[in-house]
Amino acid sequence: MAVVPPPSRRRKRRMDKVLEIVNIPLDWLEERSGLVGGVKYFLFRKVPSDMNWWHTLGSATLTAFLVQAGTGVILAMYYHPHPDTAYESIRHVTHDVTLGWLVRGMHRWGASVFIILLFLHMGRVFLFGAYKYPRELNWIVGVLILPLAMLEGFTGYLLPWDQTAYWATVVGINLNGTGPFVGPLLAQFLRGGDEIGAETLTRFYAMHMLLLPGAIAGLIGLHLYLVVRLGVSSPPWSPEAAGRDREEPEPSGSTGLVRPGPRGGRPRGE
Amino acid sequence: MSRARDERRTQHKRYKEDVEERGKAFYPYVMFHDTVMSLVVVSVIVGLAAIWYFTADEGSEPLGPSGSGWLGVLYEGKADPGTTSFIPRPDWYFYFLFYLLRIFKWPDTVVLGTVGVPTIALMLLLALPFIDTRRERRLFRRPVALVAAILTIVSMGVLTYKGATAEEGTGATGDVARWTQENNLPAGEAQEGAQLFAESGCTNCHTYLGSGVANLGAPELSSIGQSIDKARAKAYVANPRAFGNNVMPVYGETLTDQQLDQIAAFLEASKGGG
Repeated sequence: MAVVPPPSRRRKRRMDKVLEIVNIPLDWLEERSGLVGGVKYFLFRKVPSDMNWWHTLGSATLTAFLVQAGTGVILAMYYHPHPDTAYESIRHVTHDVTLGWLVRGMHRWGASVFIILLFLHMGRVFLFGAYKYPRELNWIVGVLILPLAMLEGFTGYLLPWDQTAYWATVVGINLNGTGPFVGPLLAQFLRGGDEIGAETLTRFYAMHMLLLPGAIAGLIGLHLYLVVRLGVSSPPWSPEAAGRDREEPEPSGSTGLVRPGPRGGRPRGE
Repeated sequence: MSRARDERRTQHKRYKEDVEERGKAFYPYVMFHDTVMSLVVVSVIVGLAAIWYFTADEGSEPLGPSGSGWLGVLYEGKADPGTTSFIPRPDWYFYFLFYLLRIFKWPDTVVLGTVGVPTIALMLLLALPFIDTRRERRLFRRPVALVAAILTIVSMGVLTYKGATAEEGTGATGDVARWTQENNLPAGEAQEGAQLFAESGCTNCHTYLGSGVANLGAPELSSIGQSIDKARAKAYVANPRAFGNNVMPVYGETLTDQQLDQIAAFLEASKGGG
């Protein structure tokens, strides 16, 4: 005990020890899966310096989807997909269950918010021309999510089994029946019989909480993979736009909202 | 063709280099904005749910509709396949489709509204990156894209607004006397049928001597008696599926045989204004 390190050194050494302990499970996981490296790559990948608030619409849409998934799981714990009890179970959730009104309300209104954000996100991508090479496939994946989300709305609309739910679905299914060739078959399949009843309700429930969300989640995963792989596009008007033609003169104008200029960068063209 | 391809590739390569050289890390800069935006989204959803719930009053009937607050009812009355007068309303994002079906009429063109227009719109969206293959991304140098975007937004907005404010065909019962007079409906079965026609929600989709609203492509019925007789009218109303009509509800299960006779007599007597 002749040499006592100064306090700052001692603190640092203690810190190192803590880090070492924290790293044991992370190293274990990394060695067996490579997931830690993947997450690190995802978090610390470079994105264009001129990204702005318009670019948050995609993650906002994802958030709305996650809200739907979370509240949906809770609602499924209380919901009875049968014509005799569905309506009563919805009343029960709304009036009796602790914060049940909040969960149901969030699911009810989150659906609209999700659809609105999908349209806004799509509009942003269109106006930025971000669907162009090499992001064509990602645009297609995104477009496919839109009708699936609307089908989620259609199938979810029936579940409360109130008058609106029932009669709107009658009309909706009958409209499917007008389609050429497969129309009547599709209507028959959705109905699960000649008229809307118990079979229809369980069918819609299964599609609403298994088939469609599964498909949407899969497409979102693919969508995000492609975003990370191809990179986020700069706003087209940005003077800092990554990939801009080298010989072009520096246009004037304000830079992105996120950061005023390139990070430790030098002006272009010098 | 291959020169354009080379140019695109070069540009994307340059993009990757620029991002690597001058870009910023996703975490924490972009993640911060995403998190703020996500919190806004969740707050809006919670806010809507709270306004919806707390502005609603408790309904009086045990199984009736509950609470007409600022954002509508918590739920309508329990589903009853026996009622025929309830006016169905889709969720707002289907209003454009709802209104399209007032433009296209049954039976010739209704398929354009239900399948044609939505399918074409979806196809165009999917094909967009292959239609517009130019490298230019600045909006004001893409006049076609700009005009297409404005037209799409305006037409969807107008259709949605029209669908939201579309009038509904309830309360035709006050018109029965006028129908009786104008179409010389014989007393008895035909007049009882007229009353039933007005009460059963038929005018939600069909028009009759100026009453009701045309929805889902349903035909005008003021002079339907000129083309069909009572037996056919009864069979049709009882089961439209048998006539290839997959839109109209099957009334054979909700109306009694006597009621079907009355409706059919009314339709047969409808010869179109005198």
